Amino acid sequence: MKTAKEVAILLGISIIIAFTTNYFSPVCIALVGQWDTAQGVVSAKANNVVLLDDLEIGDISFGKKLYDGGDFVFVDARSRKDYEAGHIKGATSLPLGQFDGYIEAFFVQYPAETAIITYCSGRTCEDSHRLAQLLMHFGYTKINILLDGYLGWETEGYPIE
Amino acid sequence: MVISAGKQKGTPLNSHLKRLLGNSWIELAIRWIMGLTFIYASYHKIVAPADFAKIIYGYDLFPNALINLIAIAVPFIEFILGLSLILGFYPQSAALIFNGLLFAYTVVLSINLIRGYEFDCGCFAINSGNHATFPAQMLIRNLVFLALGLNVFLFKNSRRLCIRADK
Repeated sequence: MKTAKEVAILLGISIIIAFTTNYFSPVCIALVGQWDTAQGVVSAKANNVVLLDDLEIGDISFGKKLYDGGDFVFVDARSRKDYEAGHIKGATSLPLGQFDGYIEAFFVQYPAETAIITYCSGRTCEDSHRLAQLLMHFGYTKINILLDGYLGWETEGYPIE
Repeated sequence: MVISAGKQKGTPLNSHLKRLLGNSWIELAIRWIMGLTFIYASYHKIVAPADFAKIIYGYDLFPNALINLIAIAVPFIEFILGLSLILGFYPQSAALIFNGLLFAYTVVLSINLIRGYEFDCGCFAINSGNHATFPAQMLIRNLVFLALGLNVFLFKNSRRLCIRADK
């Protein structure tokens, strides 16, 4: 009984501090996240991550139409290793984790008026959203996000290299 | 005769081990090791709860409605338990929860090991590169910590440097 009381005290203190800290934290997350891939990209709904729902291309066949039109540059947000293992044919690598190192060269090659489609692995990653957000800060305005990412593209049998 | 000889050989070792585990300085050292480990493990989860939530999602074991709640609560339970063990605030109960958590982690890892999943456990660092730690290595580590936690829980002698403990 004494142990149960002590366990309850320790867990109670922990849970009160946890939810209070989360409430005031700049990196707080919602109490319930978005974990259903059918609804879009999965996310903990963190305070510091903005999901740019309006920019999403949810229908991958529409993404393929844009690809065939040739007006968009496809930008791969995944790591360089993943990019080298396979990527959408003709896509450019701009790894989110090394954004600062790559952005200057990217900016020289693709000026701010370039129409861009970002992608990452698929609906279980937010990197394409984060990359789109960073590119917007650099002045890019014509940005879309391929929601199903590389895995969706590969599954459809669309061109990869 | 054989049994008797075995007993005679085993007794000094057992009593030596018992004396060692009953030593209050050893108990203190174990508490600090466990406490510092839990505080270290909690740090990256506290500063990046969204990444930790995604790792929990990757385990593919929990209802969607609980993922964020687990990601918020568990790191602070680890942190407070770590502090409790170091400061000696209800150390026996802290060790009990510590072992409960380790047991839960072990079950979760084992399930995914059986499923053949390769995943980032999120135990001590959140790897953006989807790095997977060897599950067998994680399981052995958990079992070692379980043994340490059990020693703190079952410790009968007077404990050193405790701000709130019965013994």
